[in-house]
Amino acid sequence: MNRRRYLTLASAGVVSSLAGCGGRGSTDASETSGDSGRSIDDHPAAANLEVQPRQGTLGGNVVLAFEDPSCSQCRRFHENAVPKIHSNIVEAGAGAFVVRTYPIIYPWGKPATQALESTLARTEEAFWALFDHYFATQGQFTSNNVFDRTEQFLAEATDLDGTAVVEDARNKAHDDAVQTDIAAAENADLPQQTPIVLLFRDGQFITRANGSVSYDLIANALGLS
Amino acid sequence: MSVLSRALRGVRLPTQRHDWQLMSRTARLVLTLPTYALIAVIAGVISLTAFVVSLNVPVFMDLVVGGTLPLSSRLAIVGELYPFVGTNFTVVQGLLLVVVALLTGTDIAMVTYHFREHGFDIQQGGAGAAGMVLGTLGAGCAACGSAVMVGLLSLVGVSASVLFLPLDGLEFALGAVVVLTLSIYWLADGMRGGEINGCPVDI
Repeated sequence: MNRRRYLTLASAGVVSSLAGCGGRGSTDASETSGDSGRSIDDHPAAANLEVQPRQGTLGGNVVLAFEDPSCSQCRRFHENAVPKIHSNIVEAGAGAFVVRTYPIIYPWGKPATQALESTLARTEEAFWALFDHYFATQGQFTSNNVFDRTEQFLAEATDLDGTAVVEDARNKAHDDAVQTDIAAAENADLPQQTPIVLLFRDGQFITRANGSVSYDLIANALGLS
Repeated sequence: MSVLSRALRGVRLPTQRHDWQLMSRTARLVLTLPTYALIAVIAGVISLTAFVVSLNVPVFMDLVVGGTLPLSSRLAIVGELYPFVGTNFTVVQGLLLVVVALLTGTDIAMVTYHFREHGFDIQQGGAGAAGMVLGTLGAGCAACGSAVMVGLLSLVGVSASVLFLPLDGLEFALGAVVVLTLSIYWLADGMRGGEINGCPVDI
């Protein structure tokens, strides 16, 4: 046996190592470099990009993040990379940071996403405040309290009528916006994990990063380091 | 149940202090041989690299292998994929991945030594391969572990709502540590009574 069996086992280990995780992630089309160079105007993940919550102006570099408010890795991405993206890319005029919601991790992420879209339909400023609030106090949310806590936050920290926003969220009044984001992820064959960060340099897709990747990785990828 | 009991009857586990001393001594003796120390280092680095690259294959292919970035940016991007350099892993996740990589390197060095010097046993090799698989799942779960379980368990009809892993997916990396430790123990147990580099393997 045993050399052949040994080599078989070793190969299985190597193949398994390279297979990675993430459901359908390892077989999707964007796992290869085939999408590189594709225009942001044609990329399915960037469909309807102009109406998504955005910091900075479109037309140059774009950091497009698919995030779930219930995902701990997204929280870490917001703590580590997003502040530097804001100061070094957005405020420096080097590009835009755009968010699309992708609620796939914990159940409370779904009603939270409905609330985010109902908030965005009113003001973008309140959307960013609520988005930050979900990450800042992520461990306190459950499916049972997400609407109550959202209503309380909006009433206390924004000018919005928290009761009206939550009523819309309960009734899924802006579900079309939620489904548009999910469809964008599915049409782009993104794996079912978050965060997923798509990078566009001067309007052209260059790659997709998974997880709480660092600002330095993003800056090097965009040629901004 | 009786089948399982029969299967497990001959399996030894490191339950005594001298079992751990045996593992430690055997691993140390193997790793004092320069060839096997080099094998352990190479295997550990490769396993850790495979773990972290497997999480970001598109980045690796588009920017490191392909693309137009200068070499310094390519190297910086590779570095950012590793724990403690980039931000993709927490300290606990990073430590676990490094431990899995160290154990993988040690295990492969011991398997190689055992294979070359004493032949090979399927039980030990199987445990090593299982450790590699669990290590990979551990790395994947560090990215957002519950999504992995959703993907795997949806195949058998398990709802995502039941997948609340208390350690956010680190369970797989811990499983890898257990399997690799068992593999090292069984290898050490298999070498008991022999010699490594002229030194007796026994406690």
